[in-house]
Amino acid sequence: MLLTILREWMLTPFANYRLFHNFSRQDFLVQFTASIGGFLWLILTPVIHIIIYSFVFSYIFQIRSVEGFGETTFVVFMMVGYLPWFAFADSISKSTGLLLEKAPLITKVKFPVQIIPYVGTVIPYLTHAIGFGILLLYLATQGYLNWMWIYLPFIFFFQFLFALGLVSILSALSVFLRDLQQLVALGVTVWFFLTPIIYPITMLQNEDVRNLFLLNPMHSFVSLYREIVLQGQVHFIYLQIIIPVSLITYFFGGWLFMKIKQAFGDVL
Amino acid sequence: MPHVSVQNLNKDFKIYERPQDRLFEIILRRQRHQLYHVLSDISFAVPDGKSLGIIGDNGAGKSTLLKLLVGTLQPTSGEISIEGQVAALLELGAGFHPEFTGRKNIYLNAALLGVPDDNIAELEKDIIAFSELDYFIDRPVKTYSSGMYVRLAFSIATMVRPDILVIDEALSVGDMAFQKKCVQRMNEFRQQQKTMIFCSHSMFHVQELCDIAIWLDKGKIREIGDSDKVVGHYEDFCNNKKTYNSIREDIPTERDTSQEASKANASDDIQDCKINSIAVKSPDGSDIATVKPLSDVLLEMEVEVLVDTMEGHFGFAFMKSAEEPIASFLTTNADEIELGVFAKGDIVKVSLVVEKVAMRVGEFYVLGGLADKSGLLWYETKFSKLLAMEANKGVGPIIMKCDWQLDKKG
Repeated sequence: MLLTILREWMLTPFANYRLFHNFSRQDFLVQFTASIGGFLWLILTPVIHIIIYSFVFSYIFQIRSVEGFGETTFVVFMMVGYLPWFAFADSISKSTGLLLEKAPLITKVKFPVQIIPYVGTVIPYLTHAIGFGILLLYLATQGYLNWMWIYLPFIFFFQFLFALGLVSILSALSVFLRDLQQLVALGVTVWFFLTPIIYPITMLQNEDVRNLFLLNPMHSFVSLYREIVLQGQVHFIYLQIIIPVSLITYFFGGWLFMKIKQAFGDVL
Repeated sequence: MPHVSVQNLNKDFKIYERPQDRLFEIILRRQRHQLYHVLSDISFAVPDGKSLGIIGDNGAGKSTLLKLLVGTLQPTSGEISIEGQVAALLELGAGFHPEFTGRKNIYLNAALLGVPDDNIAELEKDIIAFSELDYFIDRPVKTYSSGMYVRLAFSIATMVRPDILVIDEALSVGDMAFQKKCVQRMNEFRQQQKTMIFCSHSMFHVQELCDIAIWLDKGKIREIGDSDKVVGHYEDFCNNKKTYNSIREDIPTERDTSQEASKANASDDIQDCKINSIAVKSPDGSDIATVKPLSDVLLEMEVEVLVDTMEGHFGFAFMKSAEEPIASFLTTNADEIELGVFAKGDIVKVSLVVEKVAMRVGEFYVLGGLADKSGLLWYETKFSKLLAMEANKGVGPIIMKCDWQLDKKG
């Protein structure tokens, strides 16, 4: 029983490929259809982000470099962590509204509803992968390219699974608990500051507190990106954290979603 | 072969006073909701290749039943078995994205309905042609009128060739020409021996398109059977609704008035006459309880004269209720009838043949009476038992005898 549910959950985007494809294309394109800028926003948004953070941290705070990362400027150090985080935060923030927005569809048309968290996670990840890609391209020209980079897609994929699991849980629960919308919005902000993104973990003097941060899987993801991209090395402790955490979240989220999706029709 | 059957279906909704009650109930395991029975004990089977109409008042549970059949709601108890691919049109363009063009929405909807990849491009032309959207097909759906919306939605739902088509009130929006096309399309559908489940307030469409019909009343099946019959009864129910109670109250004794009761009445005060009996028969003299539209009926009453000299007029009326006549027949209008003067003890048998009863639906009483010479003051009246019109095809309150003729030139 559990296995059939998980199997159905895992195969969802493949078994319903057409629907997945159409939904994703729709949700991806809808971000730009009504706007004049169109796809320009895809590039413009991360570029503006990079510029504004450079201004704040390099010009106003005068932070130049980070301990342990050699010549790397602080802005580059931050952006390598910030852009993947952005994908994560975006998908989590949108998760609470996913099913509520599609309420007419869910109550009126029979289709595999579990496709919705998949689409809802793929879209922000796809969108922000473009920004991250642009940054990587820039860094490659700056001589950061190393063979460890081939692991990046895997890390990104595990981060996607982690987000997908959370999105499934939050989207399903928000059908019953509308308060989650506010809670999650607040939670994402708190999570952002508790993840060493705009500050290096080394700024924390206390070793015990630093270890406490390992409880935050996003810290491991962000650290992995930085180590791989900027230093060409990997701390295995981070991998040991993210792989099981991602898989468990993904499967638990899927299981929960599949279990309670029957009740959506009654509540929506 | 598509197949739909439902066994002992129940659906309850839990009503929570406050949203947090739902949460407390899960955590504290104490009941905090009120149950609302939307559907109770629904059982039916749609014979293979037949179409089913669902009728009933607002709030009777029609849409809930359709949602259960489609599978967007889960039954509280009971079983639904459906074999075959289902396409549902429960709401106008539920799967449409307003920002996208009609053409893109065709692809999205077809994917939602599970159409194989390569078939969509093939169907696209047909869908656009059938929906008559022309160049609007490349405009965003948000710019469509509601008629255009439903045209596109209907075109997609029927074009994907499902085995079972479920439609909720969709036809009411399109213009007449499109409604006609829809009816044609749905008839084609029936000819292909596919199953159609159709919920509508348009009795005409239900009669035309459905073989059998279910009349839902407050979540229960009030009647199931031949759509002509069920629709007839339902229409009648609606027509009578406003006077439904008053009939019962106004004439509580008309059916079970025993001879004793009327005799007791007679002795109380001085009466001019008494109606001993009133009967409604077919022309050959046998008693009837229902009347076939456009058939003849024979009305008979027996009047006993209780005073020495009495002059007066006889009359019959078809009555919807005690206060509401449908038709009247009076001897004041019939000069050829010899009325004469009656003496005490005379028993007069009055009979009247009403030809080709033009009512199409409904129930009625026959009122027989005796009036004074002017025809204004009624000495005595008496109601017959309740009669019903037999179900038949058509719409509207009356039916007329007609002759068809077709001439083809050239």
